[in-house]
Amino acid sequence: MIEFRNVSLTYPNGHQGLKNINLEIKEGEFVVIVGLSGAGKSTLIRSINQMVKPTEGELLIDGENTLKFSDRKLRKFRRNIGMIFQNYNLVKRSSVLRNVLAGRLGHTGTLRSILSLFSQADVRLALHSLERVGIAEKAYIRADQLSGGQQQRVSIARALTQQPKLILADEPVASLDPPTSHAVMKDLQRINKEDAITMVVNLHAIDLSMQYADRIIGLRNGEVVFDGPASSVSEKTFEDIYGRPIKEDDLVGDASNE
Amino acid sequence: MSQLDINNMKNPKRAKYWWTFTGVTIFMAVLYYVAFTETRLQAQRSIWESGPLLKRFFWDPFFMSEIHAKIPEYFGYMMETVAIAYAGTLMGAILAIPVGFLAARNVGGHFTFVGKAILNAVRAFPEILFAIIFVAAVGMGPFAGVLAISINSIGMLGKLYSEVIESIDMEIISTLKATGASKLQVLVYGVIPQVIPEFSSYALYRYEIDVRSSSVLGIVGAGGIGAPLILAANQRNFEEVGMMLFIIVLTVTVIDLISTNIRKRLV
Repeated sequence: MIEFRNVSLTYPNGHQGLKNINLEIKEGEFVVIVGLSGAGKSTLIRSINQMVKPTEGELLIDGENTLKFSDRKLRKFRRNIGMIFQNYNLVKRSSVLRNVLAGRLGHTGTLRSILSLFSQADVRLALHSLERVGIAEKAYIRADQLSGGQQQRVSIARALTQQPKLILADEPVASLDPPTSHAVMKDLQRINKEDAITMVVNLHAIDLSMQYADRIIGLRNGEVVFDGPASSVSEKTFEDIYGRPIKEDDLVGDASNE
Repeated sequence: MSQLDINNMKNPKRAKYWWTFTGVTIFMAVLYYVAFTETRLQAQRSIWESGPLLKRFFWDPFFMSEIHAKIPEYFGYMMETVAIAYAGTLMGAILAIPVGFLAARNVGGHFTFVGKAILNAVRAFPEILFAIIFVAAVGMGPFAGVLAISINSIGMLGKLYSEVIESIDMEIISTLKATGASKLQVLVYGVIPQVIPEFSSYALYRYEIDVRSSSVLGIVGAGGIGAPLILAANQRNFEEVGMMLFIIVLTVTVIDLISTNIRKRLV
């Protein structure tokens, strides 16, 4: 369970990214965080694995305040959190498999990993992860040879290979076309259901949020302005969160041409 | 808001541009005037004498059997030169890696200035000076040449490496850190694959340069073809000099062609 207690984050330039956040995210939940760009979605999601570090408050995960962790403990803790990004963040010149195996780095000794001596089990796990997102046959191809949707699946496979308890996804479909967006969201949904991995996903598309989330958290100016089950959400709710009427651009469209 | 008058629009920077242009032109003209008046540009020999001399350099060597007999020997010297360049570049290319990392702003942190200072200091010296120093330090011969070449290569390669490192995608670095990877693992899985093609391409390019410069280092006794070259020139054996120059040009061209070809495939 993830628990934000009065968490605030002020950037060095004085900008306040998060203002007094109080949240609880339960295990196995599929949470979608929505808000306009600049609302603090990224900051919120990145503070969970401390890619940015909150400046005030407590962030408890399974009862432990992670903000007090030493570097060593933080690294151990991060092994259990997979992360997916808008730009995939793959090493483009490395093979797909090597990118996916990077998910095992935290579990592998430094010397072994430098010599690329991953255990057979790890390699099988990596290939299995690729299989689960439907691109096992691409394992030995260079990552930059793949399409955007395929690259995002590789990054999902990398996260899966960590065998995480939690996956964070920061705008995972913002660079993808509508059919691919739905396919990737379905992958995340399936992983959430099958493995009971908690999902925290940033989205700005309203229809995607309503379709895939169990629970929606709305952010505006670094503050939580809405928190409720996806079933209770309507377009009106989004107008409240965004502070403006809904526009065509806020929708991705359906997967009809998938 | 006033309406823009499109028909009578002028670049507001135009006047400033003309002032700059005029200023630079006058400055250059003065510089040229000083350079030409202060330099004695008369040839020490009449044009009529240099014709036959050039013929002795670039024409006669190909028709003299005693020069032909020396070609294998010269090729031997040239191979030594190529080997000096190879050993020097290899040593420099490897030693430049830590210096390059130190000098890169995104890695070196507060110590960047140390790396940059080392690189600037090294690049302030021409190779031939290093060669003179090392000949004095370790004695005449190829070893001094290798040391001179490698130190000088560190200067250029370290600088180029640090620029490559500064241009890598740091998002990938934080992504790998977010999976719980250690610093060394991030280096091996995130940084190295991003820089290796450029590093090797620059090292090859530097090798082309080093073959050329190690041809000259022999002049101060640092091994290779330079020593017989300067000896022949001092004895006014211009036919021998001409043949050696031809061999140098040939070898350098072949190496450039091969290396350019490899570099095209690398990046």
